[in-house]
Amino acid sequence: MSAIQILFWFLSGLALVSAIMVLISKNPVHSVLWLVMVFFAISGHYILMNAQFLAIVNLIVYAGAIMVLFLFVIMLMNLDKTSDPQKNWWMKLAGVISGGCLLMEMATLVRQAAEMKEKTVMMKEGSIGLIGNLGKLLFSDYVVPFEISSVLFLSAMVGAVVIGKKN
Amino acid sequence: MNQLVYLVPLFPLIGFLINGLGRKSLSKSLIGVIGSGTILASFIVSLVLFFNVKNNGAVVVDYFNFINIDSLKISFAFQIDALSSLFLLIITGVGFLIHVYSTAYMQDEEPQHYGRYFAYLNLFVFSMLLLVMGANYVIMFIGWEGVGLCSYLLIGFWFKNDNYNYAAKKAFVMNRIGDLGFLLAVFWLIAKLGTANYADVFAHASSLTPFDVTAITLLLFVGAMGKSAQIPLYTWLPDAMAGPTPVSALIHAATMVTAGIYMIARSNVLYSMSAVTMNVVAIIGLVTALFSATIALKQNDIKKVLAYSTVSQLGYMFLGLGVGAYTGAVFHVMTHAFFKALLFLGAGSVIHAMHHEQDIRKMGGLKKHLPITHLTFLIGCIAISGIPPFSGFFSKDEILAAAFAKNPVYWGLGVAGAAMTAFYMFRLYATTFLGTFRGTHDQEHHLHESPSAMTIPLMVLALLSVVGGFVGVPEILGGHHELHGFLSSVLTTEVAHESSKNTEYVLMGISVAIAAIAIIFAINKFSKKPELQDAQGFGKVLENKWYVDELYDTFFVKTTLAKAKFLKDIIEKNVIDGAVNGVGKLVNYSSRQLRLIQSGQVGNYILFMVLAIVVVILLWVNDNHLYQYISKLF
Amino acid sequence: MNAIIFSALAGVVMMFSGIFTKNTSIITNVARVALAVLIAVNLLDTYGGWMIAVDTKNLLSFNKFGFFFNTILFVATFLFFVLSGRDIEKVGSYTAEYYALIFFSLCGIAVLTSFNNLLMMFLGVEIMSIPLYILTGADKKNLKSNEASLKYFLMGSFSTGIMLMGITLVYGATGNFNLPPISSAVTGAVVSDSIIGPLGLLLIFVSLCFKVSAAPFHFWTPDVYDGAPSVFTSFMATIIKAAGFFAFIKLFEERSSDLRVSWKIIMPVIIIATLLAGNITAVFQQSVKRMLAYSSIAQAGFMLFVVYANNNSIGKEGILLYAAAYSLATIGIFAILIRMKDYTFNGYNGLAKKEPFIAAVNTILLLSLAGIPLTAGFFAKYYMLAAAINAGGKSVLWLVVIAVLFAAVSVYYYFRVIQAMYFKEGDAEVENVNNRFKFGLLIIAALIISIGILPSVLLNWFYF
Repeated sequence: MSAIQILFWFLSGLALVSAIMVLISKNPVHSVLWLVMVFFAISGHYILMNAQFLAIVNLIVYAGAIMVLFLFVIMLMNLDKTSDPQKNWWMKLAGVISGGCLLMEMATLVRQAAEMKEKTVMMKEGSIGLIGNLGKLLFSDYVVPFEISSVLFLSAMVGAVVIGKKN
Repeated sequence: MNQLVYLVPLFPLIGFLINGLGRKSLSKSLIGVIGSGTILASFIVSLVLFFNVKNNGAVVVDYFNFINIDSLKISFAFQIDALSSLFLLIITGVGFLIHVYSTAYMQDEEPQHYGRYFAYLNLFVFSMLLLVMGANYVIMFIGWEGVGLCSYLLIGFWFKNDNYNYAAKKAFVMNRIGDLGFLLAVFWLIAKLGTANYADVFAHASSLTPFDVTAITLLLFVGAMGKSAQIPLYTWLPDAMAGPTPVSALIHAATMVTAGIYMIARSNVLYSMSAVTMNVVAIIGLVTALFSATIALKQNDIKKVLAYSTVSQLGYMFLGLGVGAYTGAVFHVMTHAFFKALLFLGAGSVIHAMHHEQDIRKMGGLKKHLPITHLTFLIGCIAISGIPPFSGFFSKDEILAAAFAKNPVYWGLGVAGAAMTAFYMFRLYATTFLGTFRGTHDQEHHLHESPSAMTIPLMVLALLSVVGGFVGVPEILGGHHELHGFLSSVLTTEVAHESSKNTEYVLMGISVAIAAIAIIFAINKFSKKPELQDAQGFGKVLENKWYVDELYDTFFVKTTLAKAKFLKDIIEKNVIDGAVNGVGKLVNYSSRQLRLIQSGQVGNYILFMVLAIVVVILLWVNDNHLYQYISKLF
Repeated sequence: MNAIIFSALAGVVMMFSGIFTKNTSIITNVARVALAVLIAVNLLDTYGGWMIAVDTKNLLSFNKFGFFFNTILFVATFLFFVLSGRDIEKVGSYTAEYYALIFFSLCGIAVLTSFNNLLMMFLGVEIMSIPLYILTGADKKNLKSNEASLKYFLMGSFSTGIMLMGITLVYGATGNFNLPPISSAVTGAVVSDSIIGPLGLLLIFVSLCFKVSAAPFHFWTPDVYDGAPSVFTSFMATIIKAAGFFAFIKLFEERSSDLRVSWKIIMPVIIIATLLAGNITAVFQQSVKRMLAYSSIAQAGFMLFVVYANNNSIGKEGILLYAAAYSLATIGIFAILIRMKDYTFNGYNGLAKKEPFIAAVNTILLLSLAGIPLTAGFFAKYYMLAAAINAGGKSVLWLVVIAVLFAAVSVYYYFRVIQAMYFKEGDAEVENVNNRFKFGLLIIAALIISIGILPSVLLNWFYF
């Protein structure tokens, strides 16, 4: 097992554990912090796949900007443990079981697939994640979706204004 | 000329719409003019078409695709050939006269009902025209149903009288039984040949198996039995006399009831292929002719006598068809249309004069009060009795001659029927017009000849009854039988007359002599001493129409009602209602339960969705096993 | 391309129109004009008159079927603007923004009718959906509206996640996002017996089922449709749903080779579940608005037949007809519902006496939804079932019979409205009925009936 593989398994485990912790933390602030951990682990994966630019953007945008906003909002709303609605215990169990079933199914099926056998992930290969290549691709082959996604953001902004502004 | 064809049914349709929609606002005279005028217009166009056919042959005019399903294509098309053009003339010609007659006869009705009457009458003519003009069995069926509907409406025209409504209902139900046979025959044809067009059906008739042909023709004949009042479906026709008398003349004597004859004559190619059916038709026709003639002997209602006489004459026509004398049958349809319409209208004139008294025992001696009616009625009676040279003689003789060639027994029974016909017609004539008046003094005071709108049609029809037979003078009497030549393009050649000229002379002489004897006997018997008492013994059986109505009532109506009661009280209440309400309750119940899933909790929803995804993937993975299992199931 | 560009531009124009005027009726009129222009440029595009040519690198592919679908949906939106423009103004104080969001949503629809790449499909679905989350919550003072918006957003995000997972798997299997699968020279990863690509497709299928509210992914529908301001429910239940079906058709038309035999099992299960959930639950509702939400689920069950039929030509004709018939009828019914004072069935009591014209139009539209002959709805349903039989032969007859039985159930709840209008005593109140409103209703009713009598007119147009 090479160092890269060890790193891969470590990051995957970290991402999974953090994600579970996001769900089960009672304190919302802790949840947000665990989410930051998830983003860090995923950024690590990006670096393993030779996509440094994506890794940095992921950190700056999600772990940096968005999560800080989340923290502010949670603190401003001043949530504490008592305001957390108590979920039905049975519902939780049912959720875990059904989610587990889905996970099992997907894992079984994907494991069967021929191209996935004996492979974990392609590492240090490809250069598409590098800033120069990504930029070229975005402004040549994928310029149409790039432009059209601006409509998506525009509508999201309009929506934010409509929802956020006082009447 | 082809572009004129659609005008023939269009005029009566327009008349129907105007009179039907405007019955509350139009004046009586205008309604009468529109009602009669449209038929006159149709008659004129029909004349044009008739001569066109005579000179240039038949035409088929295709208007549009009426039904278009898969390979089955039924077009809305009219076929104008010798047969249909002849019927067009009868329908519109006699129809026009009867419309004119009606304007006076129905004068006492309120304007609104007057309009309704003419609207129905025009609709009837329209339907009848569709029936004969259609170029396939489907169009014929539309007309077939249309005339049935109009007959129903007109029999029950005076709908305030419940008995009339029952009579209308009876006519409709009996007709429907026959229609079922007709429909089945058409379905059978379409199933076997894939078409209902006359031309295609007759062209491919040889590809049918003998069983198919027999079944189809018998089913068609069931339809004809209903519409043309043959045993066992004849009982509606006498009851149909509940309608106004001109209606009886038009629908129940001259036109609608001959639809069955038209249909069989039209399908003669098929009928000629099945000897079984031909025999059935001949025997049913003969039995009907005799059976109803016996009933007519003892009836005392002037219209009932004529009604049974009509049934009897229709029987002769079927006898003609059954022995292969298609032309003879059509010929008899034509002459019968003249003299029977004449007789009915004459009876109407009498009834009019007697203020709606129809019992002949209360009449008598009307000769001097109603001279025109008397004379024309007498002509009608002579014509129907088959005395030369009146029209009835030629047509009846042709049928009887063909019957003799087929089987002398048919001929013998036919002549016996003819004798009875002559007897009861002159019994009717003598009791009504001869002797002394037996009604109340008040009635006698008001006796009067009918207005000219009624007498002129009588005179025209009387003239036709006298000369109408000359289009079919047989060759042995020095004629050419022009009708035969005209119709030969449509009707197959009849069975050859094997009998020699001498035999024919003898046959003719016998039938005329017997009829003449019956006439003299009847006049002698009834002009002085009419039967005023109710009949005794066997006569009572005849007076009560062999108790056929009672028989049907016991066997069919009562048992059906008993079954209906069982179905209504037991099956419907418990089973059907239970099932319907049960389904409703089940849906309601499941609705209430399903509603509970919609809890409003996002967590629940997502849980269900995840479960659904799990199931979908499971289905997807095991698809082959499941698919095989399910395909075995279905 | 015209439709995509102009709808986005129209959205921007609407945003700015709010700056220049506070008069809402002017804004509404601007929106109507903008939509008319949009319809016009789309028609120009359809018939090759004039179009903005953009090299889309095969990410988008335009064809007439898509253009016609655009036209039908845009025209339906136009009628929606005409009938319910007044009511959009009344929802809140951001009229211009509401219109802008609707136009952005239309932009998403235009992308969905032309995508040739899973990436574009994802973008289209998102552009179409995000404005809806906001429109659902537009009535900010109403707690139900807020709740509905949040629910919609949460569950919508969930389905987006599923879709992304599916797209990822497809990418993993083929190495690209192209719709007609091409073997990628770079990775050489296309493996014929791959299970990953079809599995990804299955997940995309699930998320699209969510978008068109097919059971058992329909749970959001009643809550969201009921909670949202009625005008926007009208828009969501019709135009958006129809567009979702188009995405379905397009996806499986290009990817039909990936469909396994399981299609013959999963689709009937989903169809029956949808018909069951929609029709049966609608029976018990007391609010007409909520009933219409369930009815929209039930109608989706019928539209799913086109997916089952694997997009044969009858199915494609049929879905056009269905989209037109269903959208028009529902827009009309909602337009009337919005102006009713009381949304319950009892609120319709005696409407026929008070407003005979409106009651008559409402009846025609309800009959069309129920699929009664001589209305467009009959032929729409007929084509769907015919497509299924055409595709599956005798083995789908049982499914068709079940569908017809459920259509019979649907008659019950549609006729409850008719019964209330005509046969019950009461004083239903309709507000703000003017001649323009009536004229719009008349046009919708006339369209429904004329399509119902001559469906071939619409379909022949499709072939030119």
